[in-house]
Amino acid sequence: MTSRRDLLKSAVLGGGATVVAATALGSLGPEAAFAQSAPDVEPGTPDPNFAEGRIRTIKDNTLLVLGSNMVFHNIRIVDGTSLWKLGPVPFDEAKPGDGLYARGVLMPDGVLAAESVWLNIVNIKGHITNITDRTLHLDHNGQEVLCHVVAGKSVAVHSESPPTADLSMLKVAQHVQILGAWRPDTNEVDIATVFSPH
Amino acid sequence: MTRTQSPDPDTPVDLLAAVQGEVSWFCCGTAWGPCSSTGKGACGTCNSGSLQHAWPNTSDACWSITRPDRCGVGLSRRTCGFRHRTTALCSGTSVVTSIADCGPQTDLFCGERSCCGSTCANNRLIDLTPAAFSRIASLSSGLRPCSIDVA
Repeated sequence: MTSRRDLLKSAVLGGGATVVAATALGSLGPEAAFAQSAPDVEPGTPDPNFAEGRIRTIKDNTLLVLGSNMVFHNIRIVDGTSLWKLGPVPFDEAKPGDGLYARGVLMPDGVLAAESVWLNIVNIKGHITNITDRTLHLDHNGQEVLCHVVAGKSVAVHSESPPTADLSMLKVAQHVQILGAWRPDTNEVDIATVFSPH
Repeated sequence: MTRTQSPDPDTPVDLLAAVQGEVSWFCCGTAWGPCSSTGKGACGTCNSGSLQHAWPNTSDACWSITRPDRCGVGLSRRTCGFRHRTTALCSGTSVVTSIADCGPQTDLFCGERSCCGSTCANNRLIDLTPAAFSRIASLSSGLRPCSIDVA
């Protein structure tokens, strides 16, 4: 059986029908990609099928990304690529300056054919120092992060309860984990999910 | 066979069988955004792009911070470079990683429970780097139930 990874590889190499075939495999959301096996990589070492950094430029369907370790990555967006920026977004939401993590298939020419790209995603823990109508102030390792509640997007997960848009149960001094989208070059984050143990 | 809690929190539950708990992800090494001040972790080797993880019992100093025993969970002392296999209970996919940091701070989330349908696990026992977590789940899921075994 042809794997999703094989199809992505074919799509980058120019197999015209393969993008349609990849879509036919099922959901193109990021959760769908993880049932596929990936080649073994030695634990503790960099995963060649993963990249992080910030977008320098965007040309056609390729992101030129400067890694935080100063290594450049060319990340190719294909029809089957899922992009996340506080939620699923189209390709035109990717902007120069955005931070990202990307997972895909490293091609022989060094291009990463992306299965999933997470733009500006952060997952930070800390305690709440203040709550206003539309913001949470988080102390994250001694650094204040201003977290914005986004109507229609932000939810709270209290342990095993279903996600709720009602964030009123959160309290000052409580320890939480905030998954969200960083606003580039600020200490501010838009909230996707607040995980609370209680 | 999997176990989640010890009868005695001083008894490591992971010695004889896989242990179930929650897995999340954290950034380390050179990074952007709020992660930029994180550093390379307790082992000095941690990088977001490598297949690594944080473990709550890498040293006495580490244990004194994370304190999974306060949640009723004893875990074995494992030091930098030790390998665990983490299996996502949602997808069944797994990843083998090596210890690069101390964490998560289990006691701050005592009793927290994550589920996939009727499959659930309690307490934060392991944090993976983004490279590792994204092998078994979407980064946007943030937190997942998992099984942890010696690789």
